[in-house]
Amino acid sequence: MQQDRWTLALAALFVLAAVLTLAVWIPNDIETGLIERFRREVMIGDALAPTGAAVGVLIAALALGATSWFRPDPFDDTPDRQSIAFLLRMAVVLVLGLVLMVFTGPVVVESINGLGGEIGTYRQLRDTVPYKYLGFAAGGFVLVFGAIRVVENRFSMAAAGVAIGAVVVLGFIYDVPFDNLLLPPNGDQ
Amino acid sequence: MGVLDHVWLGVLAVFTAEPAFSIFGLPISITLVMVFSGFVGGIVVGATPGLGGPFAMAVSLPILISVFGFTPDALLPVLGFLVGIMKGSTIGGAVPAILFNTPGTPDSVLTTFDGYPMTRNGQSGKALRVAHFSSVTGDTFSDIVLITSAPFLAIMVERFLDFPEKAALIILSLAFISAVVGRSVWKGILGALLGLFFAYVGTGEDGYPRLSMGSEELGNGFPLVSAVVGVLILGEVFKSMEDMWREMRERSEITMIEEKGDNKLRLADVRRILPFVGLSAVIGTAIGALPGIGSVLAATLGYASGKKMYKGDKSFGEGVPEGVAATEAANSSVAGANLIPVLSLGIPGNVSAVFIILAAESIGGFNPGPTVFRVIPDQINPEMVIVFGLFTTMICANILNWTLGGIFMRATGVMVKVPKQRLLAVVLLLTPTAIYVQNTDMFAIYFTLFFGFIGYLMRKLDISVLPFVIAFILANRLEEAMRQAFSATGGNPWFLFDSPISIAFIALAVIVVVFFARNKKALG
Repeated sequence: MQQDRWTLALAALFVLAAVLTLAVWIPNDIETGLIERFRREVMIGDALAPTGAAVGVLIAALALGATSWFRPDPFDDTPDRQSIAFLLRMAVVLVLGLVLMVFTGPVVVESINGLGGEIGTYRQLRDTVPYKYLGFAAGGFVLVFGAIRVVENRFSMAAAGVAIGAVVVLGFIYDVPFDNLLLPPNGDQ
Repeated sequence: MGVLDHVWLGVLAVFTAEPAFSIFGLPISITLVMVFSGFVGGIVVGATPGLGGPFAMAVSLPILISVFGFTPDALLPVLGFLVGIMKGSTIGGAVPAILFNTPGTPDSVLTTFDGYPMTRNGQSGKALRVAHFSSVTGDTFSDIVLITSAPFLAIMVERFLDFPEKAALIILSLAFISAVVGRSVWKGILGALLGLFFAYVGTGEDGYPRLSMGSEELGNGFPLVSAVVGVLILGEVFKSMEDMWREMRERSEITMIEEKGDNKLRLADVRRILPFVGLSAVIGTAIGALPGIGSVLAATLGYASGKKMYKGDKSFGEGVPEGVAATEAANSSVAGANLIPVLSLGIPGNVSAVFIILAAESIGGFNPGPTVFRVIPDQINPEMVIVFGLFTTMICANILNWTLGGIFMRATGVMVKVPKQRLLAVVLLLTPTAIYVQNTDMFAIYFTLFFGFIGYLMRKLDISVLPFVIAFILANRLEEAMRQAFSATGGNPWFLFDSPISIAFIALAVIVVVFFARNKKALG
């Protein structure tokens, strides 16, 4: 019956989330009410749609809980410890990949400046070879190589080859033919 | 300008677009080239287990928009490419199912039942030809139904539905999709309501973006493309990677079984399978026209109906062409019919339709829905020209499918050897990159990963992702219709019960939910 416990827990979570949304979030984070009166005209306020959705979530979650309590319908493949282990491994890969993607370029440029290179800021160089590729190459490699490493549970040269190939091909597809496109993270640096 | 003028302008828009190149002095328009490219790419992607049409649409959309820009001229080449992918991936999915007992797409599972036994009997060539013929026939039938019915349905909608009825229709559609998709009606409804709620973050009419917690990033709302691609693509990537991580074992060596005997598709074969193709095409088209019901159910019903109708010596499941034909005709005839609710009601019914809407919204100048068929006296309705151009690209893709589809299809068997875990790892980089080049903001990537995590959780908790995505897309239209209906009825809070049509829609929504909540287990 573990699967039904999951459904019940899910229903309880949604009930709690809906109640908190209705009682705390919506009243404090929307400046108009359910119905507004403006220059003698009555109109729907910004709060109505999210309130309707949250009330709907509350009702559906209660119905889901009641249904799974009285008419259990177990399903396979629920989250378990292995799911958490997998997610943690993937989270490490994703966070490391994105951190490298965002910071490699600026850190390299600042390091060169610190060593007396005076090449300017990363923002000035973000569309200049090779600086514009640094973050994407480092972060992209870690994302692809790390994800393969997680699934295959081993390091392999083939995985490294796939990662390098993916970075090169994507860089070529998105960056080389288009002057107006910027690879991550160069657009908001 | 009448409808026929728009039909002609739509055809011209496809064939006389800027030429990409010339063959013997005959200019070939860029739109035709894009349909062809999408079609070939679709076959390859469909034949690759683990990928599929929606994936190809998601990653190609930003590239296409970058190439063609945000002008109305971009619409037909981009939509043509997506149509090509839609058609190509449908036939491509049958290849690994028949040759290697590995379905390329979920709806090809039933193709393995008779397709792979045919391969083991040395009849792989015939099985592929039967699958191709059935698939193309079903698809063509479905497109004919779309082209002939969508404009009339749209005109009816425009004539009879006002704002309250339109709001009620969206509620009915969401209720229907939530109720029929997945195993639990209440989980489907929860998914749809969550989609609505997320779409309301950072939007609204007030100066302060609602539910944004003072954050500038949330104040702009969640980008549509991040929500759709995150939940549909990354969620699936995470889930598939976890499954492979759990079950990682030595890949069994894939061996190609040699053909023997007559592998051609003869007229006698066509006569044999035609009744099965016809029945499945009708079933698939009827199911495809209803929002939310996917090709898997169509394939299942097509196969089951074919099995009942079959009177041969060998039974279904032992390698009979009729089994392949019944499945492939049913799942392929869903594709065209799926666009009926998009073009006549503005409501996407499946994932491919979601990407058509995403493309239209990203480029601008075309809002799929009943208004595209509005005839304006003495004026051209550019949206109607686009929609007839879209129909023309579908016909072109069908012609390609009839003539070259079988050849390309039989050449893509090698795709099954691509290691799925490495392919998905590349998708993990490709998807955020595609999102970034479109939005140029790292927060778009973070939001996409966030929605990917939501998509993963939904799959793990057995909540269908389709109601979430469709509700996210329709949320603002629903709110807008309700605001206008409220104003138009003079602030009547019961505007949804103001006319018999909207009352009927709301009553139907309740009936659908109650019916499936009570009977879904039995139906399943």
